[in-house]
Amino acid sequence: MVRFENVSMAYGTHEVLKNLNLHIGEGQLVVLIGPSGCGKTTTLQLINRLIRPTAGSIFVDGKDISQVDPVDLRRGIGYVIQEIGLFPHMTIQQNIEVVPKLLGWDENRRKERTLELLKLVNMDEKYLSSYPSELSGGQQQRIGLLRALAVEPPIILMDEPFGALDPITRESLQEEIKSLQQKLKKTIVFVTHDMDEALKLADTIVLMKDGEIVQAATPKQLLSNPANEFVEQFIGRHRIYGGKADTVSDVMSDKAACVLPELSLVESVELMRQKHVPSLFVVDDNHHLLGQITIEEIRQVYGRENIPVGEVPLYHGPTAVKDESAKEVFDMMMENHIDAVPVLDEENRVVGVVTRSSMVKSLAHVVWRDENG
Amino acid sequence: MSNVVSATLVHLQIAFLGVLLACIVGLPLAAYLLNHSKLSRYLFLIIDAIQTVPTLAMLTFVMLIFGLNNSTVIVAIFLYSLFPVIRNTYLGLSSVDPGTIRAARGIGMTTLQIFTKIRFPLAMPMILTGVRLAVVSALGIATTGVFIGAGGLGMLIWRGIQTRNMTMMLSGAIPVSVLAVFFEYSIGFFEKKLIRKSNHTA
Repeated sequence: MVRFENVSMAYGTHEVLKNLNLHIGEGQLVVLIGPSGCGKTTTLQLINRLIRPTAGSIFVDGKDISQVDPVDLRRGIGYVIQEIGLFPHMTIQQNIEVVPKLLGWDENRRKERTLELLKLVNMDEKYLSSYPSELSGGQQQRIGLLRALAVEPPIILMDEPFGALDPITRESLQEEIKSLQQKLKKTIVFVTHDMDEALKLADTIVLMKDGEIVQAATPKQLLSNPANEFVEQFIGRHRIYGGKADTVSDVMSDKAACVLPELSLVESVELMRQKHVPSLFVVDDNHHLLGQITIEEIRQVYGRENIPVGEVPLYHGPTAVKDESAKEVFDMMMENHIDAVPVLDEENRVVGVVTRSSMVKSLAHVVWRDENG
Repeated sequence: MSNVVSATLVHLQIAFLGVLLACIVGLPLAAYLLNHSKLSRYLFLIIDAIQTVPTLAMLTFVMLIFGLNNSTVIVAIFLYSLFPVIRNTYLGLSSVDPGTIRAARGIGMTTLQIFTKIRFPLAMPMILTGVRLAVVSALGIATTGVFIGAGGLGMLIWRGIQTRNMTMMLSGAIPVSVLAVFFEYSIGFFEKKLIRKSNHTA
């Protein structure tokens, strides 16, 4: 739908884009992201010819845009900007109908389309005669979005559209964009500097730096396979939840405190004290898990310390397997206030344990990843 | 009485023709200056200087070319009005939010459309302020026209002074004052209405 071929852009001697090659497929939501000055907004504005490249060509819908009248080109491409850019002296209706009017649609057709658009974002008709300043920032940007959608352009450019909004409004508008995109299947090029936003919305994330594309990949690929250190740094804290996040085997301890059912309760309690663990796994001769004893179970048989642990009613809590996501196990532990989860192999043998200190270990992976390699 | 009415009409005619001329010249000039900042600096120096010339001196200079009649006063008013009209139009046009302009360009407005549909309407309250200042001061300047033989309410005031005719003096002074106050408030009213329309929080 949009193709950049060896595009360079310079202001005087300052190179903003260096030999950019990029293909944006139809119906895709592509997010351009990077630190300020990386050329993401420049890239966006090249698409509707708000600026012209110093070298290379850009194709929209197969046509070289340097051969297309810029005004015609822009009327066929939706444009939403951070400053919202609603016309303050026009009503909401007039704002939405600006482009249809430029294209010479008659009044009935315009009004019909406007009502249709309002329904799309669940806004009331009563706003039509309001002026932009009477609306909240979030509502204004909704109207900005509708204005861009008015003549059903196949491509929409969005330049940090939610940058000026508060976090809650931003989130709800992101949801709306996502559901609109699923409904309308537009090709959207979206500029942001917010990685959360990029991960949430993008089909493809194009990470840029100093006028060059560092990596273009799906959010999942980007998280699991960052191309270099810069990418890793840029996605930073998101890695823990990504494809390469820790599995149970990364964080478990293989020194699970196990006892045979024949061991007496007194000895078991002594063992717990020595090992500083709040629970023990009771296993048979082949290391198969029979159950768990915790302080709770011991309290129930208080006064009969000499019986073997096998005779204590055992606790059967949740278990984990090695290649499960560590995060899921952690979540489960936090939710159910569990201190230790046994890790079992295919034959139900105890091979390790996930405890609260595993969480600390996992966190340390994220925080000190660089130092540990 | 018919004397007063006809003098008032002449007075209005002189003041309005002067301001109208300034608008006809000033509005396009201000729009042109928008993209010519170097020229605008020099031009503002000149119209600023014109503005400071005392009224009677100005009438004298203009009279040398246009003679002893109404035209001289009209031209003087035109010269004085250039300053408020051009300066306010220029400020109004250039203070439109760049985001709004970028949006207009981005959705496919031509340069002319951006000017007529966006810039000019948004600058309107400020332009009106300039016109209001010009009109009110023009009404004042027109009264001095009597010194170079022009008509208007100034003539009634001057004759009244000469003949110690208090009624005649007031029959000129009161209408000119009422007119000035009237235009001050009526044009101001439209300004406020326009501002409210585009900015409800203000």
